[in-house]
Amino acid sequence: MTGAAIAGIGATEFSKDSGRSELRLAVEAVRVALADAGLTAGDVDGLVTFSMDSNAEIAVARELGIGELTFFSQIGYGGGAACATVQQAAMAIATGAAEAVVCYRAMNERSGRRFGQVAAGAAAQATSAGVDNSWHYPIGLSTPASTVAMMARRYMHVYGAEGADFGVVAVADRKHAASNPKAWFYRRPITMEDHQASRWITEPLRLLDCCQESDGGVAIVVTSLERARSLRQPPVSVAAAAQGSGRDEYMMTSYYRDDMTGLPEMGIVARQLWGKSGFSPADVRTAVLYDHFTPYVLMQLEELGFCGRGEAPGFIADGAIEVGGRLPLNTHGGQLGEAYIHGMNGIAEGVRQVRGTSVNQVPGDGPVLVTAGTGVPTSGLVLVAG
Amino acid sequence: MDLDLQGVAAAIMATGESERRAARDPVNLPIIENWIEAIGDANPVYTDAALAAGSVHGGLVAPPAMIQVWTMTGQATPAAGRDDPMGRIVSALDDAGFTSVVATNCDQVYNRYLRHGEQLTLTVSLTDLTGPKQTALGEGYFFTTRHAWYSGDEVVATMDFRILKFRPGTGAARPAGTAAGGHGTPMRPMISADTAFFWAGTRAGELRIQSCADCGTLRHPPGPMCVACGSPNPEYVVAAGTGEVFSFIVHHHPPVPGKKLPLVLALVDLPEGVRVLGELAGVSPESVRIGMPVEAAFLKVDDELTLPAWRPAIGGGLPAQLPGLTVDVTTTFVVGGALATRDFTRVHHDRDFAVASGSREIFVNILTTTGLVQRFVAGWAGHGALFRSIAIRLGAPCYAGDTLSFTGAVISRDGDLYTVAVTGRCGLGDHVTSTVVVEIPGSAA
Repeated sequence: MTGAAIAGIGATEFSKDSGRSELRLAVEAVRVALADAGLTAGDVDGLVTFSMDSNAEIAVARELGIGELTFFSQIGYGGGAACATVQQAAMAIATGAAEAVVCYRAMNERSGRRFGQVAAGAAAQATSAGVDNSWHYPIGLSTPASTVAMMARRYMHVYGAEGADFGVVAVADRKHAASNPKAWFYRRPITMEDHQASRWITEPLRLLDCCQESDGGVAIVVTSLERARSLRQPPVSVAAAAQGSGRDEYMMTSYYRDDMTGLPEMGIVARQLWGKSGFSPADVRTAVLYDHFTPYVLMQLEELGFCGRGEAPGFIADGAIEVGGRLPLNTHGGQLGEAYIHGMNGIAEGVRQVRGTSVNQVPGDGPVLVTAGTGVPTSGLVLVAG
Repeated sequence: MDLDLQGVAAAIMATGESERRAARDPVNLPIIENWIEAIGDANPVYTDAALAAGSVHGGLVAPPAMIQVWTMTGQATPAAGRDDPMGRIVSALDDAGFTSVVATNCDQVYNRYLRHGEQLTLTVSLTDLTGPKQTALGEGYFFTTRHAWYSGDEVVATMDFRILKFRPGTGAARPAGTAAGGHGTPMRPMISADTAFFWAGTRAGELRIQSCADCGTLRHPPGPMCVACGSPNPEYVVAAGTGEVFSFIVHHHPPVPGKKLPLVLALVDLPEGVRVLGELAGVSPESVRIGMPVEAAFLKVDDELTLPAWRPAIGGGLPAQLPGLTVDVTTTFVVGGALATRDFTRVHHDRDFAVASGSREIFVNILTTTGLVQRFVAGWAGHGALFRSIAIRLGAPCYAGDTLSFTGAVISRDGDLYTVAVTGRCGLGDHVTSTVVVEIPGSAA
């Protein structure tokens, strides 16, 4: 146990055109999360966000009327930061650096800068990241989907997986989104036929293997478990939180390892989560696995220990990852179905599952697992009732 | 209107081949020499009787790409009659308002080489009418005619000629900058002190791999320190330039600046033990497999930047990439080529007429373009090569005053038979893209 708990969650609506600034989305989400926790802006002394977020901690603090901050931090590596923001908050609370920390991510990722388009400036940065990207972007490997497709092809080649195996994830996500009124794809499920008929984005990935682009904001309030017990919501204890980066790591292009069929950084996260929480994959009631692209959900299941190498296609078959199955995944609809808020909306769903308030509630009292962005240095959480 | 035109076309197609029309002259050395002076293919089997006698041909032959020259109607003779299949479909389309014309494809197949002295005849038949279609130039119909050249009763060559007849003023103006491949400004690498050697290498046509001066460990991508021994003394070796596809993708969407889609990208394992990403050029996406052998190639973006790339390995001791050819398209070149191919269409020699017809200048005729494709491939394939077919897709016009640069690569090989993809690019974009099948006897050994 980290000694920290999630006391509040908040979000804006999820849309394709918010019509307002990213800073306003951030502030709105934080306000909702504080109200959920029963805290005020004046109670907050720490803020954590992604290095990719456009809203500085001081700007968010100013707009909210937060006075003094004693802790502020930004986590790098895109969506890999999601669960690590909570880990940062937990560490700040454990060390006494802060008492109430809000983690947030807000973006106009559909109406503003679209991640699905070519990131033409990625190789133009005078940084180690710019030099790294220069082996890929100028060559033409310049979208997230393409970077994942290169790994997915290798996975298919080595393990005999097929495109329809990736489709299983999309169908499950959209089924869950169909019953979630907050989801962009509410009441819009898809079939495997829809998946197989969707157009190529980058072979072997089809349109329905790729998550949507979204506008919206999400915020998470973290305090000590002890304090959370006196607040408005039943506390959700952070049983374990971990980050991981693998040997020879690149951003989305860790192509220079001998093997290219796994996500070693997620394996590093998994070892810590199980070791620190005392749980094992068999204990997990439901999981929110980062799903910007379907193939990485299969690889995560293997890295996290739910099944062996190359066994994910069999593991997810026959409704196993849908509500009612042996391991329901992404009960909010995932990023394919609900919204792409860089994994933060997945943490909120994990909290709802522990509280028992999900629209697709999975019965039981086992721990809930949440993971962050894949193909990049990443992070994860194990959540339990506090 | 559509029904009428399809009905007319069906009636013309039902008549089959036209009457045979005889070439003015037999295949002969003076006309060949005119053509060689204009086009520039210096293979002696066309002109040197002694050398030709000892060649695979056993005597003088004609350049295959000249096939159409022999039956051109010439300067004094009136154009082919309105009653042949081509004339009839053209006049039907003219009458329907599709008065503008542009040739789109010209696919020639050479059944054998022609000897000097052979007397040819030509038949023309209509084989297809498709439309109406909205094209960039305007609303129009595509039709295809089949041309067959006979020596006696033997078909020695055929040509499928595809033409678009369109209604003037119904097209969309082509946005500036879309003529060449892809759109947008190509992405450029951030080059650091640790990586400059690599990019200097691609500019020089070398695929360089970082090596440690102290322990010899190779690595890619490179960095400041040896990851094996920590030495800060990097050197490099030049890769052999071979490898096997480890993984690959076919990018369809969204657009990538400076690239044509679909774009094939491959991660390639080198025998040196490193892995390098590159565009897999000159290949159909369907033919790519993990494990397929490839060879290093270099895609020049500009004088400062050349990107590492890959091509299918072809073996046979021939380079997969053809040596480049740049032609200075002077007015003399345009006129000389037109007359040497006996093409007296005024837009190829009369500037005032060409400008009055809406062109910027006189421009290169199709027969010259075909000849240049043959010359370009011959420069790589050698004097012993046998051309089997040249299929041409026509693009932007190449005006007098422009330059025409040819690039090409082998895209497949079956024994001695090579399929070569050729692109001829001028200032307006791709003037011609072509697929050439050439036999190089003995190269498989």
